[in-house]
Amino acid sequence: MDAASSFAAILFFPSGLFLLAASLAYEWVDRKLLAQFQNRIGPRWFQPLADVVKLLAKEEIIPDGVNRWLFVGLPIVGLAAPLTAALYIPLAGLAPVFSFPGDLIVAIYLLSVLTMSIGLAGSNALGRFSLVGATRTLTQLFSYEAPFLLALLGPALIAGSWQISTIIEVSAQHWFILTQPLGFVVALIGLMGKLELPPFDAPEAETEVVAGALTEYSGRGLALFRLGKGVELVLGLTLVAAFYLGGVGGPLAFFVKTLALLLIVAGLQAVLARLRIDQTVGLWWRFGVMLVLVQWALTWLLQGGWR
Amino acid sequence: MEETTGTDLFTVPIGPQHPALKEPSHFRITVDGEIVTDATVRLGYAHRGIEKAAEARNWVRNLYLFERVCGICSHIHATAYALGVERLAGVEAPPRAQAIRVLVAELERIHSHLLWLGVAAHEAGFDTLFMYSWRDREAIMDVLEGLTGNRVNYSANVLGGVKCDVDDAQRDAILKALDMLEGRSHHYLDVVTTDALFLQRTRGIGTMTRNQAEVMGAVGPTARASGVPRDVRLDAPYAAYARYPVMRVVETAGDLEARFVVRIRELFESYRLIRYLLDNLPAGEIRGRMPRRVPQGETISRVEAPRGELFYFLKSNGTDTPERVKVRTPTIYNLTSVVKLVVGHQLADVPMILAGIDPCFSCNDRTVRLEETNGRTHHWTWDQLRRYSLEVEHGRSL
Amino acid sequence: MKLATMFQDVFPSLFRAPITERYPFERRETPDRLRSLLTWDREQCNGCGMCATDCPSQAIEMVVFDKKAKSIVFGLHVDRCTFCGQCTYSCKQGSLTLEHGAWELASLDRGDLMIHFGEAKDVQDVLAGVTSRPAAPPPAEAAAPSGAATEPAGG
Repeated sequence: MDAASSFAAILFFPSGLFLLAASLAYEWVDRKLLAQFQNRIGPRWFQPLADVVKLLAKEEIIPDGVNRWLFVGLPIVGLAAPLTAALYIPLAGLAPVFSFPGDLIVAIYLLSVLTMSIGLAGSNALGRFSLVGATRTLTQLFSYEAPFLLALLGPALIAGSWQISTIIEVSAQHWFILTQPLGFVVALIGLMGKLELPPFDAPEAETEVVAGALTEYSGRGLALFRLGKGVELVLGLTLVAAFYLGGVGGPLAFFVKTLALLLIVAGLQAVLARLRIDQTVGLWWRFGVMLVLVQWALTWLLQGGWR
Repeated sequence: MEETTGTDLFTVPIGPQHPALKEPSHFRITVDGEIVTDATVRLGYAHRGIEKAAEARNWVRNLYLFERVCGICSHIHATAYALGVERLAGVEAPPRAQAIRVLVAELERIHSHLLWLGVAAHEAGFDTLFMYSWRDREAIMDVLEGLTGNRVNYSANVLGGVKCDVDDAQRDAILKALDMLEGRSHHYLDVVTTDALFLQRTRGIGTMTRNQAEVMGAVGPTARASGVPRDVRLDAPYAAYARYPVMRVVETAGDLEARFVVRIRELFESYRLIRYLLDNLPAGEIRGRMPRRVPQGETISRVEAPRGELFYFLKSNGTDTPERVKVRTPTIYNLTSVVKLVVGHQLADVPMILAGIDPCFSCNDRTVRLEETNGRTHHWTWDQLRRYSLEVEHGRSL
Repeated sequence: MKLATMFQDVFPSLFRAPITERYPFERRETPDRLRSLLTWDREQCNGCGMCATDCPSQAIEMVVFDKKAKSIVFGLHVDRCTFCGQCTYSCKQGSLTLEHGAWELASLDRGDLMIHFGEAKDVQDVLAGVTSRPAAPPPAEAAAPSGAATEPAGG
């Protein structure tokens, strides 16, 4: 791809502005669905946009004694990483902008950079709630990351490649949700853990640690972190849909599949209570890992791996 | 701001501003990682000087002042005060008035327990239960509005009786709301006792044995969940409770789950009592005559608020203004149990244990704790505080 | 132990309208007993002032020029009134009632929140600051407006 179209891809479509707009839209859909499940009216369509605009206009208060560069720079890194990961992920039903062998690992790593930035930002901020929240964020990262990665590698195993574009060519013919249902469950719930959605919102449990790692953030930094989380929502749903729900089939199929997954995610948010951080870790390291290993064993058996 | 000490313990302040608290108070929780090692509480942020203000208002005006000590249990405060004043004046409110007082008190208990269920669910991160229980609570709020004229601060009492009578339209509205709520309460009892994730946050958490409850002086549903069979409506019946008794609702497990179960079972008791009461309301007037000047004397008034025993002490000097009114609210009794129970639990359990006693911080504290900058503390009594304030005011010592 | 016990509430809600009342586009009927704005009937009033004495928040200011001629001005601080209804019970003449529909009382102007009931001439005098008139027929009990030592409203 030449430089001009690469820049266009990064800045406007499918990454960049399009992705930011999509992240605001998906955040709205999530909140509206959750409200509908709770029998109430949710926010109006422009609420996430209004939140971002308001936060960008607010004064940024930097606490005493923190490292200024980290405080200001980590939100930027935290947003830049998922926007970069978007280049390897089939957004909007189109083929990924860039592709090379092993880009699945790069994409997943870039998606984790946001969580690590939040953890670092919390540790840097030195407030009591920030420290507790940062510890919880990083603890949770260590618990869901391995099962989530393994669940996404299930289709990769069948496709015989770690390149996203190759995997989605295979998954377009073969809906992996039918042959690897356990892996689908772990991937979807792992996505909820990654995004710190209830029941895995212990790191930012409002009633315990105020806002967790982001307690000391306001203004621009908070806006960027929130945008980063919204972008991860879109990218995560895209990955799970592309791998398990039959690849990419154009923009319409993309929206339908990702919104269907969002409906399920919102429903799970509504019916499940929050888990404590030690219960989250226990759940993932027991059931999460066990399920995904069982899935791998089954897949390997069905492939005739014993031959 | 306190820095971390050398032994990796640091203090997490919960309050005075904290999303877990609906009213300001200050809990200083010392944690080692996620485990709580110590806790202290400091109150006084909601102090409004109500007891002092009562000394400047006549008996009639004070009825409405004490109604506003708490917004959730406003009627029971007014009832306790009215019963006390009537006792001092030697006046007995007519039976129908007492029965209507009990009716409104039980309706208030229902609304308070449903409110608490939602708030406790919110503390656990279970927002859906919060939304649905508050939606159902609207039925009771509408009933109370139709019966008394307001959703909060019902002002149903006057000295000597009540203001609002119950006619057939009111009766039908109340029964209809109760029918709807009874089904919903069964569902909530089911959710609270069987939902796997919710039980992980409540079963075995904050366990208080019967002995601990008695030593710490816990009251109300918090104590009844630990097997202490204390209920003022049965131990010392007031208003019409001698005529319309309730059943004791006691659980023995003593953990958070037991506190949920006790309060929901109390809802069923309230539904039953209200239905019986509406079928058996005594005929007659709804208010009696009260003198404007209340004879000299002292009396106490004990009632069962939704949170536990509420205690009023009233002293009259024969005029139309009280000499002293003292209020002791149930949350003060129960707070000791919170600071003792959280030790050893995780930080995430602290808001849940606090929510388990159904805290209502609109009760004020009675002593002032002074902390000097060198770390020494002393407690002052009311007299000392008053003397100090006069000294400052007049610039001389007494 | 079950999982997702609230499912039976959550799933049907997807197909139901939200229960939220979209005020001010939807307004429910107010119940008959709702306690809203106070109204005063001059014919019944005898100027005793018990309502003002018993008002918990000192929202009533009564100026009596002439009891027999019912030359009384009833001043109501709407922003202090707590709508408790005690005044309607303290009044033995039945001159006070609480309406049930006038509950949307918010205002941007504090002047709107002080209402004077009475004959136009009397009200003009009160607004001009006159609190007593030297009347020819005795006894002209010019009662000072109660609650003149304005404490802030209690509670």
